[in-house]
Amino acid sequence: MNDLPEQKETTLSFEKIKEDILRPMQNHKGLELWIVFLITVIGVCAWAYYVQLRDGLGVTGMRDYVSWGLYIANFVFFVAVSLVGMLISSILGLLRINWITPISRIAEIIAVAFVAVAGLVIVLDMGRPDRVLNVLIHGRFQSPILWDVTVITTYLVISLLLLILPMIPDLAICKNELKKTSPVLKKLYNILSFGYINTPSQHKHLHKMIRTLMVLIVPVGLAIHTVTSWLFAATLRNGWDTTIFGPYFVAGAFVAGSAALIVAMYFFRVSYKLQDYITDVQFDKMGKLMVAVCLVYLYFNLNEFLVPGYKMKTGDDIHLKELFTGNWAIMFWSSQLFGNVIPIMLLVTKKFRKPLPIMIISLFIIAAAWIKRYVIVIPTMLHPHLPIQNVPENFVHYYPSAIEISVTVLSFALALLIITVLAKIFPIIPICETADNEGIDYKIEA
Amino acid sequence: MKNIIKITASLFLIFTLSVSVVSAQSWSVPNLSKKKQNPYDTSTKNISSGKKIYNINCKSCHGDATMRNMLPLQPVAPSDLGSQAFLMQTDGEIYYKVNKGNGAMPTFKKTLNDESKWMVITYLRSFDKNKKVSKKIAEVKNPEVSDVKLLLDINKETKSVSANLTGVTKKGARVALQGIELSFKVKRSFGYLDISGNDAYTNEQGMIEIPFPSDLPGDREGHVNLLVKVTDDAYYGEITVDRIATLGVPTDPENPLDERAMWGTRANAPIWIIVSYVGGVLSIWSIIFLVLFQLIKLPKLAKTEE
Ligand code: HEC
Repeated sequence: MNDLPEQKETTLSFEKIKEDILRPMQNHKGLELWIVFLITVIGVCAWAYYVQLRDGLGVTGMRDYVSWGLYIANFVFFVAVSLVGMLISSILGLLRINWITPISRIAEIIAVAFVAVAGLVIVLDMGRPDRVLNVLIHGRFQSPILWDVTVITTYLVISLLLLILPMIPDLAICKNELKKTSPVLKKLYNILSFGYINTPSQHKHLHKMIRTLMVLIVPVGLAIHTVTSWLFAATLRNGWDTTIFGPYFVAGAFVAGSAALIVAMYFFRVSYKLQDYITDVQFDKMGKLMVAVCLVYLYFNLNEFLVPGYKMKTGDDIHLKELFTGNWAIMFWSSQLFGNVIPIMLLVTKKFRKPLPIMIISLFIIAAAWIKRYVIVIPTMLHPHLPIQNVPENFVHYYPSAIEISVTVLSFALALLIITVLAKIFPIIPICETADNEGIDYKIEA
Repeated sequence: MKNIIKITASLFLIFTLSVSVVSAQSWSVPNLSKKKQNPYDTSTKNISSGKKIYNINCKSCHGDATMRNMLPLQPVAPSDLGSQAFLMQTDGEIYYKVNKGNGAMPTFKKTLNDESKWMVITYLRSFDKNKKVSKKIAEVKNPEVSDVKLLLDINKETKSVSANLTGVTKKGARVALQGIELSFKVKRSFGYLDISGNDAYTNEQGMIEIPFPSDLPGDREGHVNLLVKVTDDAYYGEITVDRIATLGVPTDPENPLDERAMWGTRANAPIWIIVSYVGGVLSIWSIIFLVLFQLIKLPKLAKTEE
């Protein structure tokens, strides 16, 4: 385990930074294998999607009662994770917090990958994806669905810009240094570096743009998850009909997103050998941040369940009893304990904020966060507004079918693939910003 | 579990039924009850409402009075309640039996109120050939006719509907049919509203006039769908006439989709929500495009510096 003495004074030169960060982009055998693996998984699961497309949504476990199943729960999870981009690179970035510099790009890559796939998950959930444009053509201004489609697209665009713009100086370096890469990539570096040679006016101009976007993404980021929560809260259903759903989802998203970032940090640090950049300090700070967001989330959970649980009004009572002691109790309580309470208790001690322990804790948080979304979506759907007689057995229970599970696996593999590919073609740690932070002077040739 | 319940229930039913069937030997009506008198008079109105109650509660087993088309129940079939053999009994006896029930004959002690029971008895009594005093609606003798016609006349001044029922006799003359009950109905959102009143029988000229309710809403022009039919299909088969009458109160129907509301179509979205949505999208995206525009300027800045 990395102990404190390892925090040695490293003397970084610009050359060394360039070398360390560009090396894994040039030759990294494991990465290619990983990509092949992901593509295989996607290929196999794409067959499941083909079956769904061919035979219709009847191949899923969704029926009349549960028409939002695994897919929508997964969608909410993806949207939640993507919010980390806004939290780390924008909120903390605007506060000029220095330790985020080496991890901000990872956060932004996660944001782009997860929000892109979130949008795709919605299309995967459609029986007739060829009609997806109807959402925009015939969308009603009153419908949260239209708001959600709008805000997800907007968030994707701003996140992409926030990934690319701060990367422009680094891409100029890539253009100069990576002489051996494929012509396609060379062309990409050439276009995306926008002729940047780090003149003072260019520097000022670029950072003004970045700051504008950082401010802009705060309301859009809040909106993306608030609107996603309104998809639920704008109905009168028990369990969804609550006023705190917006901030509740945002708080939950910070938890899930931070956990995903920590796991990604760990793997890049190990696999890319970036111990000098993603140091224990970053993990320690992320651990503290995690405690903070978990506490906020715990507070929201308390409000979300204690207040209606105290009143137990008609309708709510059935739903809450199902969650607290009924069929959903195991999922509900494990999501609360492993995703919230236990992480808080562990992460207050410094020992657990070391890279490996906090990574493992984060894996639990991610799993719990996923289960939490499932528990939000499905139990409510199982209680229809109107009582119906002689309901077929498969209406009143919901088990995701193998097809559904495969398509969900596909979405995860796709998100990981996007992250991997982006991390393969772009420097995962900001080269120039790191140099700026260290006070190292550098020049970028034309 | 369900099967066990079903089996016990059937066993229970068989048991109770067989017990009651075995005991269903004879009615013993106490002497005092036999002397009970019908407190209601034999008006056409009472006979008519008695007939309605009979059709709803008794016809399913006893069939039409005098037609002998009762259900063939075992061991004792329900009697034809219009037959002379049955009507030998006193009103009190019938009243007692309807209250008491026997075997498959259910008790109506609680299901029908006293007035309704006496109305039914009044109606049954109208078939009694020995009681000449009563007005007998069934006794109105119309000649045998074919090509029965029901003509409607709508009078806007007096706000009334009149109908005329005629038929062609064997000799080829068109004659009025009297004493036939007609039903006047107005179509509403869910089914028909009966406006016939209690005495909707044709007179000697085969005519009948019904006042149209003054407060019944119609459409924008006051149109209502009117349906008139011979109540009892047993006489001449099904004879109905429908007509659009301008007798209703003209009403502008309120379509909740016409106003700007959350549930409305996109064109009818509330203004504030259109403004918020369009405003939000425009402002955010104009900033995005501004940034993109600035981005294009970046390469030029390198040149100016050199
Ligand atoms: C479920 C079928 C059923 C219904 C409904 C029913 N009855 Fe009966 N009724 C019977 C049967 C069967 C008998 C013969 C019972 C017996 O004699 O043991 C009977 C007998 C009678 C008798 C005695 C007959 C006689 O010969 O003395 C009267 C009176 C009578 N019903 C009146 C009525 C009236 C009035 C109604 C409606 C309010 C009515 N019933 C509804 C089945 C029915």
